[in-house]
Amino acid sequence: MDSEDDFMSNLSSEDDMMQEDDSDNDMSNPEDFDFDDEPDLDTGNKDSQQAKKHNYLDIPFKVFRPEDIQKQQDGLVDEVNMILDISKEEAAILLRHFRWNRERLIEDYMDKPRQVLDAAGLAQTAADKPRLQVIPGFMCDICCEDGDGLESFAIKCGHRYCVDCYRQYLSQKIREEGEAARIQCPADGCNLIIDARSLDILVTPELTERYHELLMRTYVEDKETLKWCPSPDCANAVECGVKKKDLTKVVPTVSCLCGHRFCFGCIYTDHQPAPCELVKKWLKKCADDSETANWISANTKECPKCNSTIEKNGGCNHMTCRKCKYEFCWMCMGLWSEHGTSWYNCNRFEEKSGAEARDAQARSRVSLERYLHYYNRYHNHEQSARLDKDLYVKTEKKMVELQKQSGMSWIEVQYLQSASQALQTCRQTLMWTYAFAFYLARNNLTEIFESNQKDLEMAVENLSEMFEKPVQDLAQPGLKVDIMDKTSYCNKRRVILLEDTAENLQKGKWTFNIDLVSGAPIVNPTSTPATTSGSRR
Amino acid sequence: MSLNVAQRRLLQEYRALTNNPPEGITAGPISEDDLLHWECLIQGPEGTPFEGGVFPAELKFPNDYPHMPPTMKFLGDIFHPNVYPSGLVCISILHPPGDDPNHYETASERWSPIQSVEKILLSVMSMLAEPNDESPANVEAAKMWREKRSEYEARVKASVRASLGL
Repeated sequence: MDSEDDFMSNLSSEDDMMQEDDSDNDMSNPEDFDFDDEPDLDTGNKDSQQAKKHNYLDIPFKVFRPEDIQKQQDGLVDEVNMILDISKEEAAILLRHFRWNRERLIEDYMDKPRQVLDAAGLAQTAADKPRLQVIPGFMCDICCEDGDGLESFAIKCGHRYCVDCYRQYLSQKIREEGEAARIQCPADGCNLIIDARSLDILVTPELTERYHELLMRTYVEDKETLKWCPSPDCANAVECGVKKKDLTKVVPTVSCLCGHRFCFGCIYTDHQPAPCELVKKWLKKCADDSETANWISANTKECPKCNSTIEKNGGCNHMTCRKCKYEFCWMCMGLWSEHGTSWYNCNRFEEKSGAEARDAQARSRVSLERYLHYYNRYHNHEQSARLDKDLYVKTEKKMVELQKQSGMSWIEVQYLQSASQALQTCRQTLMWTYAFAFYLARNNLTEIFESNQKDLEMAVENLSEMFEKPVQDLAQPGLKVDIMDKTSYCNKRRVILLEDTAENLQKGKWTFNIDLVSGAPIVNPTSTPATTSGSRR
Repeated sequence: MSLNVAQRRLLQEYRALTNNPPEGITAGPISEDDLLHWECLIQGPEGTPFEGGVFPAELKFPNDYPHMPPTMKFLGDIFHPNVYPSGLVCISILHPPGDDPNHYETASERWSPIQSVEKILLSVMSMLAEPNDESPANVEAAKMWREKRSEYEARVKASVRASLGL
């Protein structure tokens, strides 16, 4: 690593994360954050207070590989198996039943073992092990088979079916419905859970793999602090202590060992600085037709007679509806014949209803323009980020070419790689700043935000332009230094912007024109900025 | 003739239904030669606009019954939110097992080999009394049921009377 200044320290720790593909990551050691107790935001602050005064950006997290997950899971099972003196299978079922909350399980089990076992589907009426049985005179309720020597199976509830039907049922559950840990007895209304030992007897070899995979998945899915990395083909899970209720205050961005950066709160790709709820709203807004409706109300009127939607694209105000042939005045929407024989001479213009209609139209026009302003910029960066990804591939080629032309070593051309990386991350951030800004109510803080945004945008555009230069130019030593400078400047600007937004988010200083918690729009957005505490700063 | 799983199971169910018929329902194979094709009669439940009516329907069982559900089709004219204009019945118990890709129904509401013809017919009877207008098969009926209940009831009553030749 190069010398680290204040701003770079955050980034370089992230870079470390991404590059350390082989070793287990050393972000922080597990004892440092105790997930089951307090929200970890405090711990995060404590850590950062030692290093630096404010660090609102870094969220502690840890990446687990599949084998780590298995190890952790086995460890828990062994522990419970020892403490409670029950078999491993039962310990596993109990743990799954308690969603892997070991403390609660042990406490409850010590208190009332019977109820706990019953509730987890481990009712203990007969102690004998599950096995296939041949019972004379038995007839399967599903297939009505009753031949001699028909093997049948039942768990402790006694609902007995033949092995073929039982297996059919299980393969349906495991293959189609993706269940594993909580498969219930096939009988209608019986919710006894089929235990792992019974499943081991019944699950056919071609299903075992999927079954065990599903079992392992339930561990991650059950634990609130664990989430799968959403990147395709990545089997890692990430542990992070940020709780759901904290999501209005923090944007918990984590990065997996595979290099994918995502938000731990909503699993969506890195969307700093915008909080999850806002992202959800923004994506919905962009996807649905609400803005189409806005366009329609801003640009069209309806025929007063047949209500066909009409856009006037030129000509005079004497309208004839193409559908119903109704003739009316575009200005006052009144019957044209009332205007007399004179050409356009509409003096109803100032009438109240007309004025109101115009007001409404003006309002939706303004709101549409505002949305489009932010959307266009958001979309631009999204597009550019996508193109930059292609650039990434090209970069590699460029790097090889550059090596050939200038005689630089592989390590010496790495600066291109980091420049391309910086471009992509910064674009991603810029993209979301526009969604963020769309929901932001104006006040003094937004000006700081906007100037940060402008600085970052300029830095990115500068770097982007430089990056496009032909290979022979890139070989000039001056340009290399320039690109490296610009790269680190971009990264710096990004961190400054994110630090600022994260800090104010944590302190609750932003005023949004939507409600981040319930999602209802605030009725009078114009009045909110005046009451902001931050406006005095 | 040796019977396969579906036929054996259907024979069993037929026996149970004739020995111990539920109220308002009769059902059985049209002919002993084809156990996969049944006909049934359902009485309109009391206290509903369908009261007094008798509704014939046919049940067609797949070869892999009871792993897969049968289909049910009303033979007469029936105006109901969960019955397609063709007469085909759309309720969750008749849908193949597994989770609904549209997330309307959970796996537990759908067909499983533990269900039976009797349960289907009882479900259909209660469906007549209480339509589910959330995923209607007959949109017109669902809309009328939701918004103009009295008009819906009048229309159903009229069709019941017509079917009885009154």
